[in-house]
Amino acid sequence: MEKVKCDCGHVNPYGTYLCESCGKPLLDDNQSLADMRYEGVARRSQTYSKSVVDKVWNFFSSVKVGIWIIVLILLASMLGTIFPQEMYIPAGERASTYYEQEYGVLGKLYYQLGLHTMYSSWWYMLLIASLGISLVICSLDRVVPLHRALKTQRVTRHKGFLSRQKLFSKTEKMEEPEKSIEKAEKVLKEKHYRIFKEDGNILAEKGRFARWGPYVNHVGLIIFLIGAMLRFFPEMYIDEHIWVREGEQVVIRGTDGEYFLRNDEFIVELYDEEDERFRESFERTGGNPVVKTFQTSATLLKRINNEGPIGLGTEFEEIMQYDIRVNDPLTFDGYSLYQVDYKLNELSEFTFTLQRNEDSSEEDLSDIQFTVDLFNPELVYEFENGYRVEIFQYFPNFYINDQKEPDTLNRIPDNPRIIFEVFTPEMNPDTDRGELSLVGVQVNEALNGDNNYRIRMIDVDMNHVTALTVRRDRTLPILIVGGVIFMIGLVQGSYWYHRRIWLQNRDGEIWVAGHTNKNWHGLKKDFETITKNTAIPMPLDQTDDWNLIEEVEGVKGKDDSSTSK
Amino acid sequence: MKQKRLVIRTIILLVMFIAIGYTFYNHFSEERGLVDQGDIAPNFAVEDLDGNYLELADLQGKGVYVNFWATWCSYCRDKMEYLTEYYTVYQEKGVEIVSVNFNERAGIVERHMERYNYNFPLYLDEQRLVSNAYGVVSLPTSFLIDENGVVIERAVGGKSETQVVAALEKLIPSN
Repeated sequence: MEKVKCDCGHVNPYGTYLCESCGKPLLDDNQSLADMRYEGVARRSQTYSKSVVDKVWNFFSSVKVGIWIIVLILLASMLGTIFPQEMYIPAGERASTYYEQEYGVLGKLYYQLGLHTMYSSWWYMLLIASLGISLVICSLDRVVPLHRALKTQRVTRHKGFLSRQKLFSKTEKMEEPEKSIEKAEKVLKEKHYRIFKEDGNILAEKGRFARWGPYVNHVGLIIFLIGAMLRFFPEMYIDEHIWVREGEQVVIRGTDGEYFLRNDEFIVELYDEEDERFRESFERTGGNPVVKTFQTSATLLKRINNEGPIGLGTEFEEIMQYDIRVNDPLTFDGYSLYQVDYKLNELSEFTFTLQRNEDSSEEDLSDIQFTVDLFNPELVYEFENGYRVEIFQYFPNFYINDQKEPDTLNRIPDNPRIIFEVFTPEMNPDTDRGELSLVGVQVNEALNGDNNYRIRMIDVDMNHVTALTVRRDRTLPILIVGGVIFMIGLVQGSYWYHRRIWLQNRDGEIWVAGHTNKNWHGLKKDFETITKNTAIPMPLDQTDDWNLIEEVEGVKGKDDSSTSK
Repeated sequence: MKQKRLVIRTIILLVMFIAIGYTFYNHFSEERGLVDQGDIAPNFAVEDLDGNYLELADLQGKGVYVNFWATWCSYCRDKMEYLTEYYTVYQEKGVEIVSVNFNERAGIVERHMERYNYNFPLYLDEQRLVSNAYGVVSLPTSFLIDENGVVIERAVGGKSETQVVAALEKLIPSN
């Protein structure tokens, strides 16, 4: 790994194509034109491969590897969109059965391959992480030598460098070449070129700044990826979900038990089906009601921090009241509560009355009415006429479990069944067994023989439940900064061009060469201006066969062809 | 020069790998509970169905098996059956069982108690203040708290009889 000393005296790193200072071709690559990518500097990665660190570094430094990573990410991302991701399947569906039911064998395969949670799978995250590493290393490996080469470039360039530029020509020996060069200098100054002079030779350069565009762009992208990475930390990003029943107070998840929310009222407004203006739209929905707006009137509470134990004795203070609507979240202390969903008409209360089964009853039991709160039931209901009804068992969400016993799935009264025990005034509730009946929606069964009494449901009360998303996103500013830097880099690299023109006096001959990173047509126009005002000829485009520069002049596209043949 | 390059490369790669590795660890490792092994168990106060007050701090000096459960959770029932069986045996050895209900009302818990005849008191946490402070997200979840008030284990999910006994055994105070 020897360093290469050029004739001009500059010491170049091993693997340099063109001397960083004078531009002399150092590696004979049998090409008629110089490879000007990255100024012909040695990309370290491609030349050293010693320790493990170097090998890892070199792997990620390869643009080829980078492109492959991008292609793999694209393909993988496409896979993830074939069927919906798990978080988008209907609420309450189990992923293990849903995909097969809905999409058949392919769906099953999709589930088994784990594609239903693909975007948070280890291998997808690993791909994104590799892209990040590749971006950092690719950029560093190129921007550092490029920056050095552009900083150390000399005005006087090696003949081999000039003659192997895409735009190049030289004159015959002429009288007073200095004058022509001076004139050209003036012209170029008017065109806002920066002029560097050395021994009567000039280098006119502008828009070097454009060369940093891609790297600025990459910095933005890296910041963006860091922002995305930080979303995995609850300190930075919280995305939780809470259901709150009307009148209920729940802890707001993700706030470490500090904040609570009470749902004071939930309302839904539907579009008026009678309204003429909406008739057409309703025809499209098949007459189904369309929600206009829904809103949770909520009270935010905060636990008062006393030093005592958690639980009993906890006090709350009301912080504020707010009507949470879609796109109008309740925001506090960095958190936002968004209205996302609701469940209407959840059972909340049943009202019952007691009846005798025989019609011949003289007794009037119509006074006996009682209401059971399905979330918080009273266990005993006593009446003035001596009757007593007890809840013997209660199943909010009734089912028969594996042991063939009545059981409840959860605490939500979606399918409530109550076993009542009825005591007449003559009975002693401590010693006697009353009549048992199982009561629910459309269900009323006697459990211990024929019953004389029947518990009849006379009223049902329902409640709305609101669903809110709790979100805290501190990564947003980072993502925005990343995005802005990304755009700056993009503009910087796209709307400015790095143009260089070399005019050199070689023993009375004028050598002309030009290079730009894009928009060759623009550079040629600049040369035309020089040609018009001086005796310096138009350089030839060496990529054009037969050097028919005049004939292709002004034809777009041809001018943008790359430097290699 | 080469030495410097190697150092710079190593540092850059290390920083990136550590950052990514930590993110992965954080995302994929079994989530550490809000209260977990090694933590001082937060003090809490609860009342049982008869209105008896209990504060965790008062149990200092005993091993405490705090079990969060609900009437609708069948794994909880299995576990509490085992606990009923061993409650008195281990109480004599200095181990207390504190069974904290998750988010249900007294009436429902009372009927459940009658149906299954547990011999230890059932404490209520109607507003989930305690279960929330302990980071309980699935049931049953138990916390094994030693005589000094330090959590020695956080156990999530159904447990076999042997596992429950082993847990109680661990809680016997050493002195």
